[in-house]
Amino acid sequence: MRARRLAIAAVIGGLSVAALTLLRGRRSARPRAGRLRVERGMAAVRLAARGGARYATSAPRLFASAGEHREALRNDLALQTAEDVAATLGTMKGVLMKLGQMASYVDDGLSPAARRTLSRLQDSVPPMSPELAAQVITEELGQPPDRAFATWDPEPIAAASIGQVHRAITRDGRAVAVKVQYPGIAETIEADLGNVGLLRRMLKITAPMQDVDALLAELRERVTEELDYRREARNQQMFARYYAGHPTIGVPGIVPELSTRRVVTSELADGARFAELVTWPQAERDLAAETIYRFVFRSLYGAHSFNGDPHPGNYLFHRGGRVTFLDFGLVKHFTPDELRPLVAMVKHLCVDNDPEGFRRAMEDAGFLMRGAPLPTDMIVEHMAVFYDTVRERGPRTMTGAYASSVTRRFFDFRSPLAAYVQIPRSYVILQRINLGLFALLGELSATADWRCIAEEIWPFVQGPPCTPMGAAEAGWRASRTRAGNPGPFGSIIT
Amino acid sequence: MSEPMGTVAGLVERSAAAYAAAVPVTPQDDGFFGPGSVTWRVSMDLAAPVAGLRSLLIQALHPLAMAGVDQHSDWRTDPVGRLAATSAYEVTVTFGDRAGATRAAQRVRAVHEYVRGVDTVTGQPYAAGDPVLLLWVHAALVDSGLAASALFGTPLTAADADRYVAEMTIAAELLGVPHEMIPDSVAALERYLAGLRPDLRRTPAAAESMSYLLDPPGLDEDIAELWRDIRDAAVLALPGWARQMYGYPEPPPLTAERRTEIRQALGVLDAVFLGEPGVLEARQRITARMRSASGTGKK
Repeated sequence: MRARRLAIAAVIGGLSVAALTLLRGRRSARPRAGRLRVERGMAAVRLAARGGARYATSAPRLFASAGEHREALRNDLALQTAEDVAATLGTMKGVLMKLGQMASYVDDGLSPAARRTLSRLQDSVPPMSPELAAQVITEELGQPPDRAFATWDPEPIAAASIGQVHRAITRDGRAVAVKVQYPGIAETIEADLGNVGLLRRMLKITAPMQDVDALLAELRERVTEELDYRREARNQQMFARYYAGHPTIGVPGIVPELSTRRVVTSELADGARFAELVTWPQAERDLAAETIYRFVFRSLYGAHSFNGDPHPGNYLFHRGGRVTFLDFGLVKHFTPDELRPLVAMVKHLCVDNDPEGFRRAMEDAGFLMRGAPLPTDMIVEHMAVFYDTVRERGPRTMTGAYASSVTRRFFDFRSPLAAYVQIPRSYVILQRINLGLFALLGELSATADWRCIAEEIWPFVQGPPCTPMGAAEAGWRASRTRAGNPGPFGSIIT
Repeated sequence: MSEPMGTVAGLVERSAAAYAAAVPVTPQDDGFFGPGSVTWRVSMDLAAPVAGLRSLLIQALHPLAMAGVDQHSDWRTDPVGRLAATSAYEVTVTFGDRAGATRAAQRVRAVHEYVRGVDTVTGQPYAAGDPVLLLWVHAALVDSGLAASALFGTPLTAADADRYVAEMTIAAELLGVPHEMIPDSVAALERYLAGLRPDLRRTPAAAESMSYLLDPPGLDEDIAELWRDIRDAAVLALPGWARQMYGYPEPPPLTAERRTEIRQALGVLDAVFLGEPGVLEARQRITARMRSASGTGKK
């Protein structure tokens, strides 16, 4: 069986290397091209993995999230027409940027050269001119911004996913952030995603171990989703409703009547950036980390949803552990059937101490080939690192070293398991827990009894609160239940 | 194929470094073209690499021009350095201020003084400073800018195409071609090119250098595929007679899909180029000047 890993991060690492390798001839005689190619792919994977867990807090991102201020908005370079947009983001550049964005959570693991290429691409996108942004607003909302809103700030405050963010005040007086998509970008990116030949070629160069077709499908699906802001607005609204009244988790609400395919309007949020948080006292950092941890796993086990972008740019921090979560462009909703084996894996490994049960659950989820000629203890030994923080009670400090070891294990294609392990497509996004969340918590050197918190959240334990935040959260849950609003998103929608 | 030849390793880095250095940070003036010129637009076009490759293919068909390169240039040992130096010169003349462009041209003219000899194929003497040869090189460049933009970039209107040819006459003058010799409209350029055709032929040196350029040794297979897109574009943009001289098969007509593919390959190349140090800043210097020129109502 062919190992089929949709390790987007690894591929991006490879892709950038591919791009940089372009046209740099090698005098390699190529009698064993296949082998060389595999070696090159491995090098790319290692490159992506090496130190990949250290979060690049200050590294430039490929589209900063809403609320993130651009260092310097180059208004003198502003895009004035849809043609300018096409020239800047068309001909594969937008697609390369989206690929880079997907990998941005390991961008510290890329070589300096690869990181430079990706961040340069980001830097190469200037904001829209006020007139062009107004034109999009007019097309989408049916009237120009100064009529659609009571007050409209024509200067963007931030770069956003394939667009930019403006501040405004609605006609009923609410301060909002309005994300405006670059005109023509959807058509441009869709056309470029259609060049499967070129994309395959680039992926193939550096990711010989990947199932290129599955990877391409994943990429296309993600990017296509992100081009339609309505989906993001729906997701954000679901999270906002789910966490309404939560003591420390905040999600800005959506203004649906001012949200369309290319415009999404949400409540304006403020708070400290991640770079500021790391200068706060450790106790504050621990609380922020606890909130993020609770958000990720409460969303997964409670709301059956995962917000796939645990990146420092997507949070705003307040004292006392309150965190505002910003970007919902990449959300995965799990069906009960998809979630069940994940829950079983945790339960068998961490609570029941049942290695065979764990192995069966891995097989049920499709992570492990059935009947793989491997002893169960070897499988457990290999996988345990992913569960390391929740196998035992007691305070534990997340470190960059732990996050790195998780990343290394994740990318360990030389392991004897590699041939029998794969990540089914519906779980690909969960890699971001391993690659993103742990890196983030490691960056904060956060200490907590993660196991105890996990027990609060695990549906098969539902343990008592073990921190003050847990107690406050329990109060929130009780009030939600009384309000008849306890379930996952699915039950909200229906 | 004769050995040894240098590899194309470092092509991107070295031409990027040359580019970044050649776009002035604090120009004294707008140079010989200026931010409102058609020439700047053509130079910034996505199809510019195709134009460059196509112009080399055409230039090489003049036996005496080719002989000068073949006998005096270091292209065999350092093909990348040769290309980078040429593109740096073009960038300086296009985007530099008048003093910078003039100095660069004077340096080239000084070098040309020493490039003299006898072509072994035709037996004719040549001198790189000969206006006849300089004009040929110039015309091939201008014609290629037009052809590449029309096919793979942003096509110019007929009026802008004429303006481009007229604007570019100064480039030839800087290298010593008398003004009255230089075509200053598309029609004049076409007449000139047609008139020179009897003098053209594919010498062994042209065949050798161009086959190196189109299929650089040492490229990995997958990478070579991408290069092939760009090279196919250059061959496709050639006039039929030039393809026949080289013996290239007649390509199928350019479909919309193929054009898009080639533009996408050019986009990837451009993204790589932008990743090199200083290139983005250089681009931004140019773009900011172009934007402010169009903003002040020049256009």
